[in-house]
Amino acid sequence: MTTREAVLHPVRLWSGRVWGRHAALGLLLIVVAFLTAYPLAMLVYGSLHSTPPGAAGVFSLDGYRAMLTGANGLVLVNTIGLSLVKTGLAMVLALFLAWIVARTDTPCRDGLEVMITLPFYIPPILTAMAWGMLATPKGGLINLAWTGLTGSREPLVNIYSYGGVVWHMMQYSTPFLFLLMVGAFRSMDPSLEESSRMSGASPWTTFRRVTLGLMLPVTTSAFLLSFIRGVESFESALIFGTPAGIEVITTEIYQLIHHASTPDYQQATALALGIMVLMFLLVAWQWTLLGGRSFFTVTGKGYRPRVARLGRWRWVTFGFCVLFFVVTVVLPVGQLVVSSFFKFFGFYRWNMVTTEHYAAVWNNRLVWRALGNTLLLGLLGATATMFLGGLIAYVLVRTKWPVRRVLEVLAWLPWMMPGMVLGVGFLWAYALMPGPIQLYGTLWALLVAYVTLGTPLAVRTMAGAFAQLAHDLEECSRVHGATWSTTFRRILLALAWPSFAVGWILIFFIILRELSASILLYSVGNEVLSVVVMRMWTEGKAGPVSVIALVMLALVFLFRFAERRLVRTHLSA
Amino acid sequence: MLTRRTLLRLAAGASVAGTLRPARSVAQDAAWSKVIEAAKKEGKVVVYNGAVGTPALPKLASAFEAKYGIRVEVLEARASELRERIRTEQASGKVLGDVSHNGSTTTALQLTDGTFQPHGSLPNAGRPVAPFAVDDHRVPIYVIPYGILVNTDMVKPSEEPKSWKDLLDPRWKGKILSDDVRALGGGAVFFMVSTQKMGKEFHEKLAQQGLHMNRELRGNYPRIARGEYPVYVPFTLPDTLDLKGLPVKAILPTEGLPYVRFDGAIFKGAPRPSAARLLLDFFLSDEGQLAYANLAFMPVVGGLESKIAGDARGLVSEMKPKLLGTTDPKLQDEMLKLAKSIYK
Repeated sequence: MTTREAVLHPVRLWSGRVWGRHAALGLLLIVVAFLTAYPLAMLVYGSLHSTPPGAAGVFSLDGYRAMLTGANGLVLVNTIGLSLVKTGLAMVLALFLAWIVARTDTPCRDGLEVMITLPFYIPPILTAMAWGMLATPKGGLINLAWTGLTGSREPLVNIYSYGGVVWHMMQYSTPFLFLLMVGAFRSMDPSLEESSRMSGASPWTTFRRVTLGLMLPVTTSAFLLSFIRGVESFESALIFGTPAGIEVITTEIYQLIHHASTPDYQQATALALGIMVLMFLLVAWQWTLLGGRSFFTVTGKGYRPRVARLGRWRWVTFGFCVLFFVVTVVLPVGQLVVSSFFKFFGFYRWNMVTTEHYAAVWNNRLVWRALGNTLLLGLLGATATMFLGGLIAYVLVRTKWPVRRVLEVLAWLPWMMPGMVLGVGFLWAYALMPGPIQLYGTLWALLVAYVTLGTPLAVRTMAGAFAQLAHDLEECSRVHGATWSTTFRRILLALAWPSFAVGWILIFFIILRELSASILLYSVGNEVLSVVVMRMWTEGKAGPVSVIALVMLALVFLFRFAERRLVRTHLSA
Repeated sequence: MLTRRTLLRLAAGASVAGTLRPARSVAQDAAWSKVIEAAKKEGKVVVYNGAVGTPALPKLASAFEAKYGIRVEVLEARASELRERIRTEQASGKVLGDVSHNGSTTTALQLTDGTFQPHGSLPNAGRPVAPFAVDDHRVPIYVIPYGILVNTDMVKPSEEPKSWKDLLDPRWKGKILSDDVRALGGGAVFFMVSTQKMGKEFHEKLAQQGLHMNRELRGNYPRIARGEYPVYVPFTLPDTLDLKGLPVKAILPTEGLPYVRFDGAIFKGAPRPSAARLLLDFFLSDEGQLAYANLAFMPVVGGLESKIAGDARGLVSEMKPKLLGTTDPKLQDEMLKLAKSIYK
């Protein structure tokens, strides 16, 4: 058997330990099934039963029947339309930004890369408030400037509209997509593009057919992740869509759970599972699109990514990145910084200047306890999730294990389920878990939920990276006597480290912001930051919330700086 | 006609009753002392609080801890989330919470679900004044009344709406910001009570005013203060104290104030029942009630006015005689449906 076959069929290579390998893969499947299938099974039960688990009731299809209405069809069209438009626009923007940062000689690219990603880390509720102030038709700063300059009586922009919802969602999608794709742009072997150019293809054809073509696993995964997240997004639609009569699936579910006198979990879970099935069809489409094709861009040959010389145009691309930064970061974050020094959010008078919000946060024991818990959960959760995701991705991309499709489906599922419903699934699953292990009411319930929520992203990030690594690298390691674990750690993870780091940071901050599951699983003493922020926000303490958001942004800088240092040290080593 | 013998019998009866009452009181005191003793042994009490972020509960908790040395741990979430949490806990036999601190509607629905256990006798049970009263399971704690908020830079005193019906004046067309009346919360309370008191015609006319509705309660006050809209309904009146310094004014409409009441109750299977009982009683003590009243939440116990601090005292006194009514859990679904049909 050749080494390549060995890599493709690792089980055969380790025939002496075949049962051990089977056991390891089986264990991986059980772990992933516990994380994802178990809470989802509880939700399936909820959708088929007139009452939630543990309560007397009867099995029925009422939830699904109630789902199939014309009104819900309209809501579904709205939801998919919104997400498609925002993902399409964000994708174009993110691709352009990633190309500028990774493949051109635009000045200050390192700094730009960090700055472009910042909007992702700002709590949506705060950017919503900021954009509400900037773009409300009555008295919004942009509209005031517009009417002042032109004398027009009609506002220029209205954030409470379809466009407003798309715009606010794009604030998060663009940096998210950028983060997922920039690494792949950077790690591409330029000889493939050079071959295309030498064969007479134009730069545009080369970009379209070769560059984008080779990035298909990453771009389609990123698109799907962002599109599905768009379908499940909630804050933008609730804050800017509902007042304009725009309803989406998540606001419908929110209504069923939180705004009915008796929460209708049967219909809410049925609706969420219906969406999950639709999203799954999309994922299946991606499998068909990528099936059987090779996307190796990182091979054993040494290379340096080709950088396009833009001449004077590099200042235009630089200006474009700065403009993106100003619009998506400086405007809302500037408002956070300023508001953190005023008694009332967005109400600026000299007699209201104060540092009381900083003092309030500093002296709040609960904030510190929650910050400690959150950092612990973030560090443990992001690390565990990325390692688990790396293992799953390896099995999916580098082996022919017959059950790997099941593993892939299981790993995708949590991403396809709206957070507020999945949170209920976690509650039911952990609280009603039979046996002596008590997960509910402990910090570990949150950790397990966070790992579950992060796994799809970790798998997509690592699978995209592994798909770009040629088999010869792994073969070399194996030929030189390295064990599988050493090869995985020293070759695969090392080469995929930029993706690992990006995935880690994304998951870390997803954990920091996660509320839907946290609110149902936290217990006294195990508070997390998102719950404390929600409490403060509900109490009307926008000032202290701004301070916490700024602390989170400082953490972003710290982690991004550390990650880039690590990447450099690691890659140079 | 009363005979001498009858009078003597009555006098004897009264004398016996007079000697028995203190004896019963002593027995009750002894029984309550045992509750306190048991509560102290339990060491803490866990409250599931649906009034997310309320600053009053931490103050009450501090006072309770100072008095009894029993720690109060508060877990906060939205009413629907708490309801499902405790239901799941009870179904699994892993109850973590002791006391519910939630809106009266959710509490009533939970009572129907069988979520609570009877609290037994409480020394302060007789203190609430009508229309508030303690029953076997629930203890009323405080009340949040709703009014109107106006921007004082945009609305001259002579133009201020003095009543709910003044909002129907054409001058307010397109100028009213509102908490969504089609979703549970202040908006729904306002809709339900005003519909019951003023008829659905009131809302049919109000809907013609083109209310701008949203569910972002806390984001709405700054929008009024900045002048985006001149009027906001329904305004949570105790928030008046927090908005001091902004160009806004709270108005208490002449028809009265819709309100929401918050209740306390002990969860069935509560792991610390004595501490829970003690806390429930403490809610009705002067210290407990003042923790809320000092922040302008209306107490349910009478005779506290002189003890309420600063600005809150005036507001509480002003609100007290104007309470209009609160929600009826039985009508909630019907009313939400009606609201959706009127405000499309």
